[in-house]
Amino acid sequence: MAGYVLRRLLVALPTLLLAAASVFFLMRLVPGDPALLILGDAATPEAVADLRAALGLDRPLPVQFLLWLERVAAGDFGRSITNGEAVGPLLLDRFAVTAPVVLAAVGAAALLAVPFGMLAAWKQDSLADVATVTVATLLLSMPSFWLGLILLLVFGLWLGWVPVVGWVPFAEDPWRALHAILLPVVTLALVEAGVLIRMARASTVEVLRLDYVAHARAKGVPEGRVLARHVFPNAFAPTLTLIGLVLGNLLGGIAVMETVFTLPGLGRLLVDAIFARDYPVIQGVMLFIAAIYVLVNLAVDLLYPVFDPRVTAD
Amino acid sequence: MRFRALLAAFAAASSVALAVPAAAQDTLRIRLNADIRSTDPGVNRDANTDGIVWHVVEGLVALRADASVGPMLAERVEVSEDGRAYTFALRPGVRFHNGQPLTSADVAFAMQRYMRRETNWRCRGDLDSSVTRITAVETPDERTVVIRLEQPSALFLTMLARPDCGQAGIWHRDSLNPDGSWRAPVGTGPFRLGEWRRGQFVELTRFENYAALPGAPDGLAGNKTPMVERVRFTIIPDDAAARAALLAGNIDILPDARSRDLPELRQRPGISIHSAASMDLQVLLMQTRDPLLQDVRMRRAIALALDVPELVRAVSEGTSRPSRAPIPVGSTFFTPAMAEVPPRDVAQARRLAAEAGYRGQRLRIVTTRRYEAFYEIAVLVQDMLRDAGIESDLEVLEWATQLDRYTRGDYQMMAFGFSARLDPSLSYEMFTGPKATQPRKAWDNPEVQAMLEQTMRETDAIRRRATFEAMHRRLLEEVPMVALYSSVTHGVTPRHVQGYGSWAVDAPRAWGVRIQR
Repeated sequence: MAGYVLRRLLVALPTLLLAAASVFFLMRLVPGDPALLILGDAATPEAVADLRAALGLDRPLPVQFLLWLERVAAGDFGRSITNGEAVGPLLLDRFAVTAPVVLAAVGAAALLAVPFGMLAAWKQDSLADVATVTVATLLLSMPSFWLGLILLLVFGLWLGWVPVVGWVPFAEDPWRALHAILLPVVTLALVEAGVLIRMARASTVEVLRLDYVAHARAKGVPEGRVLARHVFPNAFAPTLTLIGLVLGNLLGGIAVMETVFTLPGLGRLLVDAIFARDYPVIQGVMLFIAAIYVLVNLAVDLLYPVFDPRVTAD
Repeated sequence: MRFRALLAAFAAASSVALAVPAAAQDTLRIRLNADIRSTDPGVNRDANTDGIVWHVVEGLVALRADASVGPMLAERVEVSEDGRAYTFALRPGVRFHNGQPLTSADVAFAMQRYMRRETNWRCRGDLDSSVTRITAVETPDERTVVIRLEQPSALFLTMLARPDCGQAGIWHRDSLNPDGSWRAPVGTGPFRLGEWRRGQFVELTRFENYAALPGAPDGLAGNKTPMVERVRFTIIPDDAAARAALLAGNIDILPDARSRDLPELRQRPGISIHSAASMDLQVLLMQTRDPLLQDVRMRRAIALALDVPELVRAVSEGTSRPSRAPIPVGSTFFTPAMAEVPPRDVAQARRLAAEAGYRGQRLRIVTTRRYEAFYEIAVLVQDMLRDAGIESDLEVLEWATQLDRYTRGDYQMMAFGFSARLDPSLSYEMFTGPKATQPRKAWDNPEVQAMLEQTMRETDAIRRRATFEAMHRRLLEEVPMVALYSSVTHGVTPRHVQGYGSWAVDAPRAWGVRIQR
């Protein structure tokens, strides 16, 4: 197992390098100059040139890339062009905001989606199935920012149960932190539950049609046991893959949600950095997201054999 | 039933947990739409950064509400007869946040850092060549500073007072690290820098030994007595969330409400709206080097096709005043002649376009959605041009790309906005100049350039006003751009906030504001 994990991590290195190079050079192809954005409409050519030199942007691109890569290899992601902050700690700070929201939301979505999806498949074409599929379709059709704003309006403004703004770290005040992330978690969970319900239902429907399920039923195995013992593990495996993808995607930033709920997370950091052409931050965040994808996919692959004995980690 | 009980319990717990503690009532909470860039005055800044820094740091002089320059750390300024020496007498009793008294040595130290190239001070270029050149900063005694200039300039004090230059703020040398890099401002302003939690908030605390000027608050000058213990600038990027936060009582001041939200906000009891004309300028730029637009008749045709009052009414929800002059309406240099807005004349526009050889070519209007007004201006211009038989397409770009295209002069037409300029010379300078060396400049006319340079040297207000009127007439004739309006800032406060007011520069001021719950 350890060898497998190590091999996977080593294989990931060229992927990360490719991702780093792509982000670096693609961002440089996009028009827009950070020096110009900092100096604004009153910038003189001399001031722009001075600032570009101060930021190291006047060097040839390959030199800039190699210097950055060298620093990253030493664990230094550089400093933000916008505010001079060290990128490494900045990434961790922002990830500490995004991660709890995403983990709680995806966890809640999975807990909601798997039973409902299986139930809908088990009662295929019944009223419960139609209702579940309708609600799931509705949830996945709703833009997350819209649902977020509606929840903010109802629970923040009208009922006053949760603050509209004011994120605080868990370490500082767990109770207020919980209040602050409640609505983002609920919003994300509802939206993601829509996708997961449909996936869980579809894979359960397929498994229910297989011979071994009919065989188990014919042997007189109780229905609950058939579902729990024979259907769930096989039906859950594809859903697990999807959960992994969703998790990787969301951990990489939930920019829109973070903007609506005023969360200083990774997604907002990336979007702000792109607007400001803050290259070190963009490169750092993208590399970080690529690493998250690799790790989440590895974790999913390692979990797979637990549900599907046909798959082994080796 | 059980669910209801659960909800009730949750609500009760919430209200207990979120009840405002007594001490926090003395915290004024203000919305900030994005994080600040730094705390270094006039260096790596934007409007939000300027708006925080001016609470902490003060300059020798400061901008008044009417855009004139008033005293701040200097109690008086004397100008030598040749206009090349400015003597500042420092106000007695002023102390820095670390308790040290303000001396002329502090002023000289700060000014010398500003003028060093490696500092990257925004206004170094202006005070090192383009407007004038500072040749010396002398300190004949502890309370006197003499700044010597290479040539006289009508703009020198304005340059020192500019918010985007950090008001050339004077800070104590404790603001720097031992290696000379910037640490945090130790200024003389009404608030000290408290905590800056990146991406979340910037908190300022009251400076108990602040030496306030007598009288009333006046722009960034006048009486700046702090009335609250703390000011927290909370970063809320989304406009809808910011509005909800104000209505839910999570913030006390929404300094930049959208025009479209005003009708609904006006209906709410206990809500006050504070509107003030800004000194920015929204324009339609035209590239005079473009094969089609280089013909002045074509540019005049475009200007005549626009119904500027209707366009401005639609974009600003009727809150801004249309003006074809680049000098803001509130300026003392804005004359009745500048107030005239030439009427729309579609028939004449068609005639001029035909004379210029227009045969239905499609023009391109560059715009962005980052600033909603730019986009709306472009859409309306496109529609109005169509009435005159001039076809155009919108090219909607991301803001950084648009700014890049603007800087390179790479456009036919562009909906654009200039940030506030405090002097009419600076208003004209922002779009006047040689394209060969500064492609961003819209108006390349050596005669006009000479007139502009004259206004920068001339200190007599009447003669300056006359020159500006002449330049305005030339602008209407040559139409390198169409000035449209200066936007209006709308601040919104609930009943318990008193003493707040919007003003000409687009960032809030927390001094003089009190909370009375």
